[in-house]
Amino acid sequence: MKKGLKLTDILVTIVIAVAFGIVYILWGSIYYSVKPFGLHLDQLIYGMWFMAGPVAFLVLRKPGVALLAEIAAASGEFFLGSPWGLTVLLYGVVQGLFAELVFMAFKYKNFNLAIAVLAAIASCLGSVVMDFAYGEIAALSVWNLLLFLIARFIGSIFFAGVFAYYLVRVLEATGVTNLVRPVSSKEYAELDQK
Amino acid sequence: MNFAGAETWLHKVNPSLKLGILMVLCLVALFIHDSNYMMNVTIGVLLLFLCFSGHSIKHMLFLFVPFCFIFISTSSAMIFFGKGETLWFKWGLISVTEESFMRGLLVGFRAMLFAALGLTFSLTTRPVNLFYSLMQQVKLKPKYAYSFMAALRLIPIMMEEFHMIRNAMKVRGFARSTGIKAIYFKLKAYSIPLLSGSIRRAHRIAVAMEAKRFTDTAHRTYYYEYGFSRKDQVFILYFIIVLLAGFYLAIHFPLLPK
Repeated sequence: MKKGLKLTDILVTIVIAVAFGIVYILWGSIYYSVKPFGLHLDQLIYGMWFMAGPVAFLVLRKPGVALLAEIAAASGEFFLGSPWGLTVLLYGVVQGLFAELVFMAFKYKNFNLAIAVLAAIASCLGSVVMDFAYGEIAALSVWNLLLFLIARFIGSIFFAGVFAYYLVRVLEATGVTNLVRPVSSKEYAELDQK
Repeated sequence: MNFAGAETWLHKVNPSLKLGILMVLCLVALFIHDSNYMMNVTIGVLLLFLCFSGHSIKHMLFLFVPFCFIFISTSSAMIFFGKGETLWFKWGLISVTEESFMRGLLVGFRAMLFAALGLTFSLTTRPVNLFYSLMQQVKLKPKYAYSFMAALRLIPIMMEEFHMIRNAMKVRGFARSTGIKAIYFKLKAYSIPLLSGSIRRAHRIAVAMEAKRFTDTAHRTYYYEYGFSRKDQVFILYFIIVLLAGFYLAIHFPLLPK
């Protein structure tokens, strides 16, 4: 593979991410409407914020895309005026980085449901690490903290793992992914036979 | 964001420097564990925002609503469910202690500080200026900067397409259908055309941009040129004063009980 991402890859990644950035902003109001119910029900839908990375990677299948997508989605959210302000940028970097590490661990060769779920869990872990630093959630009572963590992990597996994977599957059916994915060696082999 | 407000000196601070300083402040805020100090710093940043963002009072009050919401929602969870020794109040699972109350305030002020820093930045900086400045001062590669700028330009088109799909669904009578199946259908009917259309458009634009040598790094000239000025020094000085004065006041005139 040639070094670095081309402008095409970058722009497509960022556009996907910005689309998610808009969703993230809208999701914020849903998040706050669920929050007053207490008992961390809001954490069940937190996983939506990890979706951009896995989706972008599964669409483009290139190194660095997941990280770039999360950063771009976060900055899109930031520019559109997120009430969380600059923190979304820092969270975005960490979440993207954790997802990216999972894809890297499998050498960017794995594109199945399991890898999407793993990346989702990694992103979730990243966000929890950030929460420990910022929100001081370590000071919550134990039962409350456990509830918080379980809800968030379930939510992220559903949204950023399963949902992201099936979204890309449906996108594949539209043929749009052929535009942007790298050509595989299998496709070269098919050309050779003729 | 809406840029209807007047231009102030904050608009003229170098965008990269502004972003850098605000990021540093976010990190500094991580290491502040004293409620009084945190409150003073937050007030300092809010003052900057209120006096110099160049927006009308009405507009700013409107922007203030989410601030209060964040303050209440972040602090309440900590106040009601946090750990602590000195018990003030207990009702079922909820137990308010002195420690949890103070920590709740700290967390609330911190969240408010971040929101204020973010809004101060996004209300006084145009994205285009930021990316031009990042290319010049931070040496961000043009292919990234121009991709970001192009993508931000596509947001209105995405919004328009979203409305188009919604109207089409209305005409066909899908808007009123309810239930799990209808939600699933709607989700698919919105996300897939929006995403695939955006990817196709992004691909076309990228090919055109590559042909026009937007990726060239070596021989670039810039339409907007950025440097540093007096205003940058004022900006840095303001935050140094806020941090020092806040610290002094927190020690000698604490408003909250220790």
